[in-house]
Amino acid sequence: MGGLSAIQVEGLSFEYDGHRVLQGLVLDLPQECFTVLLGRNGSGKSTLLKILAGQLDYRQGSVAILGQELRALPLHQRARLVGYLPQHHRPVFPFSVLDVVLTGRASHVRLLPSRADEGKAVRALERVGILHLQHRPFTELSGGEQQLVRIARLLAQESQLLLLDEPASHLDFVNQARLLALVRELVAEGLSALAVLHDPNNAFLYGDHFVLLQDGHIAPLEPGQQPWDQEVMEQLYATPVQTLPFAGRALVVPQLHVPIHRAPPDLRP
Amino acid sequence: MSQVRRRWLLYLLPLPLVPLCLLAGPAAGLSAGKVLAWGLGLLVPHAPDPTLDEPLLRTILWEVRLPRVALTFLVGGALACGGNGLQALFRNPLVCPYILGLSSGAAFGAALAMTTLWLPVQLSAFFFGMVAVGFSYFLARAQHTVSVVSLILSGVVVGGIFTALLTIVQFLTDPFKLQTIVHWTMGNLHNATWEQLRAAAPGILVGVMWLFLWRWRMNVLALGDEETRAVGLNPTRERVLVLIPATLAASAAIAVAGVIGLVGLVVPHMVRMMIGPDNRHTLPASFTFGGAFLLLVDTLSRSLTAFEIPIGVFTTLLGGPFFMYLLKKARVGWEA
Repeated sequence: MGGLSAIQVEGLSFEYDGHRVLQGLVLDLPQECFTVLLGRNGSGKSTLLKILAGQLDYRQGSVAILGQELRALPLHQRARLVGYLPQHHRPVFPFSVLDVVLTGRASHVRLLPSRADEGKAVRALERVGILHLQHRPFTELSGGEQQLVRIARLLAQESQLLLLDEPASHLDFVNQARLLALVRELVAEGLSALAVLHDPNNAFLYGDHFVLLQDGHIAPLEPGQQPWDQEVMEQLYATPVQTLPFAGRALVVPQLHVPIHRAPPDLRP
Repeated sequence: MSQVRRRWLLYLLPLPLVPLCLLAGPAAGLSAGKVLAWGLGLLVPHAPDPTLDEPLLRTILWEVRLPRVALTFLVGGALACGGNGLQALFRNPLVCPYILGLSSGAAFGAALAMTTLWLPVQLSAFFFGMVAVGFSYFLARAQHTVSVVSLILSGVVVGGIFTALLTIVQFLTDPFKLQTIVHWTMGNLHNATWEQLRAAAPGILVGVMWLFLWRWRMNVLALGDEETRAVGLNPTRERVLVLIPATLAASAAIAVAGVIGLVGLVVPHMVRMMIGPDNRHTLPASFTFGGAFLLLVDTLSRSLTAFEIPIGVFTTLLGGPFFMYLLKKARVGWEA
């Protein structure tokens, strides 16, 4: 397995209602890395992730996950290779946390989950550090807790590649950091992860590799350029930015024409 | 292990109601005490009670009460399981066979088959039940999602259309058959026979058993289409595989008992309030509690007043306020 790419994409094109979203995409991502997909809204990030997750069918090009062509695999076998965290929807029924995590076992289960499946769900909750929530109704948890439950569900699935669609959105500052640090840990333990992130700073703080997506194709880097370089970010987001060196990489701040350092209003009577 | 045993005990909790209901009912000179004494007498040797007309009692129990009690229980169980299945597959706690128009569709199908004899009644009920749910679903569907409320609205419209069609069938029927159909439409169990039981039982049992096998998949499905696909199940396929048995059970019940509204809504809710939303447990409990619920309502409907209130009227009167309560409760969202 060591030599295989986690994801290998060749000549992938995709259109939505006659509108081309991805164009001849080529991608080769190594295993045991946390790769981040960056790009503006509508650049095709989520579409690419959905195709890799098997949520959308592709006609042109090829997608291999750990050496296996995705199209050729039946759904339950895909699910054992790829775990996918879609953008968040709130379920209607107040299932317990354990029952939600248990559904991650579906690709291993015929009709009813066994005791062993339940054990795996419990271990996944333990790994994420929320075993104490196991009997709570999922719907009553906070956004951050819900997202951790969904990660646990992904771990219970026991797939080797995690695809995360904006896992940090709707989370507060601290929970974002917790979640992404957790993904980092999981990658250090041998999983591979590919995430769409809105915030390039989160990406540069936690990611190993960066894929920059622009109008349906990958923005190339010139030799010596880093994704966090000012001109790369300005090009990608089509906005002037300022970069601040941080921990060997950089943080990015958009430069919009609004003065940030306003004098505080005088509140004295 | 004891937890599992406790669960099964809970599922079976309503069953003692079945023999109890055999005791109740209007029959001159036949008190519950006498039936009980006779029943016990069968078990232990005894001197015959001279005041008891044994053949009459046997007829009343065996030909009148037992088929009625058994049919009522099955019909209640089928409607509740069907409701549970539909709620899971549509991810909508406010639907049931009645609200989705399934009941009207199945009733129309059954009436059509009764008057024209083109098709077997059960088959026709199932077919039009499926057609009705299908229509409700596609009417409500917009941009790949179906909101809680739009599904209810389209169910109302589809139900209305099939009720209108049913009325046309009634107009075209000869007066003798008409009375039967009108009576049956209102939801009726009082001329239950073994024959009806034989007609309804296969559809109900197959539907309920199938739902029972699929009960954990309903949990998976309840979390969303993308989530279902992500863990390796095809959501469309799974939905159809829940829709078929749910419609089968409900339409088989409706074909013999007529439209008995809102049992499929009320019972799964009561069950969820007791034991939580895990379909692995709510499905068996919906069956036994659904059966017991309808049995109780039926026994009340024939014991409370001198005349017999059609059971469908009764359940709708009970279920209506319950539905309003659920609608008002903030838990059930108006959004998608």
